Amino acid sequence: MATTRILEWLGRLYISVLLAFLYLPIIIMALMSFNVSPFYQLPFEWTTEWYASLWQNDQLIAATWNSVEIAVIATVICTVLGSAASLALYRYEFRGKKFLQALLFPPIAIPWLITGTAMLIFFFGVGIGRGLHAILLGHVALALPYVIVVVSARLQTFAPELEEAARSLGANQWQVTWRVTLPWIMPGVIAGGLFAFAVSFDQFVVSYFLATPGQTTLPVEIYAAIRKGFTPEINAVSTIIIVVSMALMLLTARFFKFGGEK
Amino acid sequence: MAGVQVSNVSRSFGAHKALDDVSIDFADGGFYALLGPSGSGKTTLLRQIAGFDFPDSGRIAIGGESVERVPVEKRRIGMVFQNYALFPNMSVADNVAFGLSVRGEAKAVIAAEVQGALDLVQLGKLGGRRPHQLSGGQRQRVALARAIVTKPRVLLLDEPLGALDKALRVDMQIELKRIQREIGITTIFVTHDQEEALTMSDRIGILRDGRLVQEGPPEEIYDRPKSEFAATFLGDANIFRGDATGSGILLADGTAIAAGAGATLAAGAKASCAVRPERIRIATDAGVSNATDTNVLKGQVSKRIFAGNNSTYFVDRAGQTLKVIVQNTGIERLSEGQDVVLRWSPESTVLIAAS
Amino acid sequence: MAAATASRSGLRSALPLLAPAYLWLTVAIFLPLSAMVFFSFMTELPLSGKPWTFTLGNYAAFFSQSLYLTLLLASLRLGLEVTLWCIVIGYPAAYVLAKVLKGRSREAIFLLVILPFWSNGLVRIFSWAMVLREGGILDTALNAVLPFKINIDLMYSYPAVIIGLVHSYVPYMVLTCYLTLQAIDDSLIEAGRSLGASRLQVLKRVIIPLSMPGLVAGAALIFVPVVGSFMEPRILGGRTGTFYGTVIEDQFVAVFNWPLGAALSFILLAVVLVILAAASPVLKREA
Repeated sequence: MATTRILEWLGRLYISVLLAFLYLPIIIMALMSFNVSPFYQLPFEWTTEWYASLWQNDQLIAATWNSVEIAVIATVICTVLGSAASLALYRYEFRGKKFLQALLFPPIAIPWLITGTAMLIFFFGVGIGRGLHAILLGHVALALPYVIVVVSARLQTFAPELEEAARSLGANQWQVTWRVTLPWIMPGVIAGGLFAFAVSFDQFVVSYFLATPGQTTLPVEIYAAIRKGFTPEINAVSTIIIVVSMALMLLTARFFKFGGEK
Repeated sequence: MAGVQVSNVSRSFGAHKALDDVSIDFADGGFYALLGPSGSGKTTLLRQIAGFDFPDSGRIAIGGESVERVPVEKRRIGMVFQNYALFPNMSVADNVAFGLSVRGEAKAVIAAEVQGALDLVQLGKLGGRRPHQLSGGQRQRVALARAIVTKPRVLLLDEPLGALDKALRVDMQIELKRIQREIGITTIFVTHDQEEALTMSDRIGILRDGRLVQEGPPEEIYDRPKSEFAATFLGDANIFRGDATGSGILLADGTAIAAGAGATLAAGAKASCAVRPERIRIATDAGVSNATDTNVLKGQVSKRIFAGNNSTYFVDRAGQTLKVIVQNTGIERLSEGQDVVLRWSPESTVLIAAS
Repeated sequence: MAAATASRSGLRSALPLLAPAYLWLTVAIFLPLSAMVFFSFMTELPLSGKPWTFTLGNYAAFFSQSLYLTLLLASLRLGLEVTLWCIVIGYPAAYVLAKVLKGRSREAIFLLVILPFWSNGLVRIFSWAMVLREGGILDTALNAVLPFKINIDLMYSYPAVIIGLVHSYVPYMVLTCYLTLQAIDDSLIEAGRSLGASRLQVLKRVIIPLSMPGLVAGAALIFVPVVGSFMEPRILGGRTGTFYGTVIEDQFVAVFNWPLGAALSFILLAVVLVILAAASPVLKREA
């Protein structure tokens, strides 16, 4: 037993070190965004002036609004299209179904660099061009497979007898969908929607290739700023982003168990 | 082979006493059942013997050698798990070979031993299959072959038949018993199924709330239970409670119940008597009597359950419902509401001191 | 389960529900990927107004100039190193989470570990700049503790890129390994030990083989994006951060040689597909 207890203790210690590795840089960045010295010099002196100056940065604020707008619209589109597709994949048997399910894999697995540059070439070639509309088009396509996977996972826990029971009680297909199936998969739909929002809001690579000078998103703007040089302002806006995206994922976790069991 | 001695073993998990000063001597080559309701500590005891968990105090010896601080892999035991725990990434033969292989045995030796073990459990031809291609009964046999191929000193079985259906379970009981006799290994078997415990084992230990309630051969525990719990958990029993009169008890309504000769308790102490339902004879009139059936009670049939070869009568008497099991020999059937007389001998009555 | 609903079914009923999603994916993913292949065989972009012809020149450029091949190999090596570090760091963490910790604390810690993965990658890479640069936190902290003066300036170096990428992707390895590890019944571990195997033997012969699908999935899902990474080397690698991904980026945003960029992207895609194909038998085996 002594060995087991030592191993358990070592395990906890190891996880603590890993968590420190994962979170320390983020915490330090957040702290520095409240530090007076623009060159990140210690000792630490508290200030909120970098956040205040964010307010004055019209370019950053415009990009932020673009990001939020695109994320919201992409979420709505992805949730509707993704839920419909999941339902069809769950409910019907047809030839080529496996193929359609396999098609969800490339957008997730192919590096965004390839997808992003391919979109740039194609959109440019067929006249869609670049800009916010192109970014939206891309974000929806990137987030859609996640929504379908998450909603499908929820549907797997749904018993088809429930639909059959509802039909035996006289409900038609629409009533069954609205009153039995949708309420059941709602947690999955909400989780899928939050996923879609996160994928879009945090998306950098694809946005980067599809953005034009006037029409960019927040991550693209931050990347440009970083390449110009580090400033506490970037720390401030980065801190805000990381807090927002982590809060979003915590919210998602309420609806969707990543761990699978229980 | 070796016997197992458990002496004064206690184990607590937080405030919960899973094992409380348990001592049992498992004889070499015997087939021993640990019986008890869930949470009684029987699985905890088995895991202490296996070495998955160590006792807070007490001693465990296998073949005379103290092992209570020896980790499981050094104890040379064989264990069959409730869900069989076959390695899904290995073939049947590799599963059976595992124990020999981690010991670094030669390949040729392993192959021969594995074939022998698979033949013993009558799966000689299925060595190349994967566990998921086998039926429940076959998996059970593989698990058994895997546990005994290393020639362990003791075989531990944790409710191994629980996942099988009734018919298969009976087959496996016979099979398990055959194999155990053939190799003569000390076997400790955890179950909550009293019938399984009665039919398979040489000795039974009944546990309750972490304590050993009674221990002995099945017939002895069935015929001479030492507590109301032992009487009702292993088999069925009618319990009468009253004041001890020396060799019997006096019920509250003044009825005397005599117990078999030899059993005595100090007069006046609280005591109870246990009578097995099949030992009671039931009749409609007071006329037919047998000289030895000196315990007589009157009652009324409240319910009869027909079960093919026998019937169970529930007889109401002075606020108590008694159970009587009668073989259906076709002579007479009593109907509900009928007044009846119950008779049984003092030898069928066990006197139990109140706990 | 599906069989019960199969009878009242068919593609015709499914199509109206499927069409919008798959049309979108076609327009935004599959057609662009096809177009990229097409463009990679052109001398100029058709829309630029200049005359264009089909050519193999873009691929010839890849094979004739050793620079591209060298960079691709450097990127593959980067992917390999990052993946190995993620296994070394992530697998034990997944094991502790799945098999050592119990109950509510396990769920909470698991969420904490994978949470950063779903937060903004760009910002997390940037946060390392604060830590790694000279006069940064690591430098200051070490010099405060150590009796002698050392200069920690990892910023703009190969190790910095590795650290940033491992930080970015290790939660993925923890996630995939945790999922397969927690599916392994504890009684298998106990069975192994009851047969005389030590903890290490059980790990080697039972646990690792059974968690192989998670390891391979994690490795593939880390290796692939790392080989195509460009933002991380740019921010943390500085001048040492030139990799295959950054060259592709340059073709599109600096040099504007899109056909060459398309060819380079397509070669990367081919490499990626080969890797995924190699990984898929292991993934299918246990699925």
